[in-house]
Amino acid sequence: MSYFAQALINGIALGGMYTILVLGFSVIWGVMGVINLAHGEFVMVGAYLAWMASDFWDVDPFVSAPAVFGVMVLFGYLVQRVLVNRVINRSALVSLLVMFGVSIILQSIMKIAFSADFRLANTDLDGAWRLTDRLTIPVTRFWVLVVAVGVTAALSLFLGRSRLGKSIRAAAQNREAARIVGVDISKVYAVTFALCIGLTGVAGALVSPLLAVQPFQGPPLTLKAFAITAVAGLGSVRGALGGAMVLGLVEAMLALYVDRIGTNLAVVASFVLLVAALVLRPQGIFKGLRHVDATST
Amino acid sequence: MSAQAGGALRGGRLLRVVGGLVGLVVLVVLAVLPLLSGTSNATLLTLTLMLTSIGVAVNWNLTGGFTGYVDFGHAVWFGIGAYATAILISLQPNGPQVGWHPVPAIVVGALVAGVLAAAIGRATMRLKGPYFSIAMLGTFVAVREIVRVWSPLTGGGVGLTLPPYLNRQLFYYVELALVVLLVSFTWWLRRTRFGAALVAIREDEIGAETRGIDTTRLKTAIFSFAGLSTGLFGALWAYQNTFVDPDIAFVEVRTIDAVMGTMLGGLGTVAGPVLGAAALYWLREVLWANLLDYHLLTQGVLLIVVVLFVPRGLVGLVDRRGASLAEVWGWKGRRRGGGAADRLTEEGLGDSAAAGPAGGDRDGPAQARAGSEPGSGAQGETAAGGDAETEALS
Repeated sequence: MSYFAQALINGIALGGMYTILVLGFSVIWGVMGVINLAHGEFVMVGAYLAWMASDFWDVDPFVSAPAVFGVMVLFGYLVQRVLVNRVINRSALVSLLVMFGVSIILQSIMKIAFSADFRLANTDLDGAWRLTDRLTIPVTRFWVLVVAVGVTAALSLFLGRSRLGKSIRAAAQNREAARIVGVDISKVYAVTFALCIGLTGVAGALVSPLLAVQPFQGPPLTLKAFAITAVAGLGSVRGALGGAMVLGLVEAMLALYVDRIGTNLAVVASFVLLVAALVLRPQGIFKGLRHVDATST
Repeated sequence: MSAQAGGALRGGRLLRVVGGLVGLVVLVVLAVLPLLSGTSNATLLTLTLMLTSIGVAVNWNLTGGFTGYVDFGHAVWFGIGAYATAILISLQPNGPQVGWHPVPAIVVGALVAGVLAAAIGRATMRLKGPYFSIAMLGTFVAVREIVRVWSPLTGGGVGLTLPPYLNRQLFYYVELALVVLLVSFTWWLRRTRFGAALVAIREDEIGAETRGIDTTRLKTAIFSFAGLSTGLFGALWAYQNTFVDPDIAFVEVRTIDAVMGTMLGGLGTVAGPVLGAAALYWLREVLWANLLDYHLLTQGVLLIVVVLFVPRGLVGLVDRRGASLAEVWGWKGRRRGGGAADRLTEEGLGDSAAAGPAGGDRDGPAQARAGSEPGSGAQGETAAGGDAETEALS
């Protein structure tokens, strides 16, 4: 029983991590219709920034996260101006390929700069809180969960209440109509992309003490972000939280009940979840910013 | 055929004759090369690997170029073919020790890939556009992990060793023959009703269905064939390599090369994947030798440049009959501020308007071609002119 409770705790903690990892991807797709195949690489770049701060200047990733956010917002803005703007009006597959190119480029730059060695950032918020003999709460993951819930709430408020947030939602729902009523579409897209890449960088900083920081850590993260978003509804902030929790719990339960090989099967789980959800319910489970159907063009 | 298309075709015919002759000369050179005394085994191995790369690209083009289903996990069939063959041949103590003769093992290896492609294709080919692409990427990653953990059958992460058989010349000729067969098949396919129906699925799947084409059956059939054929190349590769493990049998680069080679050469053309994959292979050899760490970086930059500026590929520069990204992916010269409100939901409609009702009967491909011709022109200009405003063509 206590094993089950521990798996439950682990699953929720993992879900918190996935929430913050998926938000940026989900909103970019929902608002701009761009599937950011380099998402995992932006996480990786954020993680490297936090690792550098931790390794060179001994700054905790939870402290350096706002700085990482700032740097990544600028980086996101640059990528949007130079590349994404050129493909934004083409079909989703063109941007898919271009972002795929970006992911290869980022991987190789990081490999050249830092080699393929695995690194971990140091945080003071580590260790575990003991509840009973066999029940513990992993401290880093707990704080990641707290930040994730906070960011989700803030993003939800921003999109729901603020003027800019409302124009972002308007652009996602009907671009032409939004343009006619005076929404500056190119500004909305620039802000959305920069903000989401900033968020993604923060996610990378937060997981830098948890997941090995290395140039090729991105693709599985992109795949999971895609799975969660497709199931949860594009650009749906609360959906992202729900979908991430489901995936976290599934993975934690697999690790508990399938001996030894559970963690390896996690990526299989996210894939099965993805295809099953898409085939059974192509329009997503939660209502997103954009209506889609995976089985029709 | 209308007058405007006629002129382009006459020019194209001359180019095709010249291209065919050049291809024939290259083929003769390739055929006699191993017989020359100066040809080393290392050269033969390099050429065999190039042929493998070409073969996989030609197969990828069957679904990606003709049917328009962009597969991001095609290398999974290569890995499955390789592993099935290795499992049947290997006598390694920690493996299943079946110990078959290599010839039936290679045939069964390819069949296993084909059957699995049929099964998985039935599910994933229900998905459209980027959803299909990512589902296949997921299949690829998932299968690799399954192979890694299923150690009683696959030897796990350690891999399987095969008894060595190092007749480079035999492998070379077998693969050369396979590639020639495959390319001839693609050429022939373009002229059949089946091929016309595949192009119709790409241009307008709902329209094709309305005209009585059993799209699910046809697209699953070509997907399974491509899987089987790539599995065959994987099976041959495993036997030639004498060793497989999850990370060398299932490498992303193999899919990336197939996608990039086909796009570089010309999506949906017969010669495109051959030219593109060969060019990419030699480019890689040169980059690898001179730039080492930077070759991956160069490839990423090349991918972006091709997508943005040469979407019709090398063949498309001279022969305008092949598919361009515009036709396959529903982009028709729409730029900022123009066009429909929601691309994701309107792509299908836009396509059918441009392509006309492409059917499975005799005039199907001609209609599709004639309809898409001006679109490709507009698209080429936009690509060349950078930010120039281009009117939507329809």
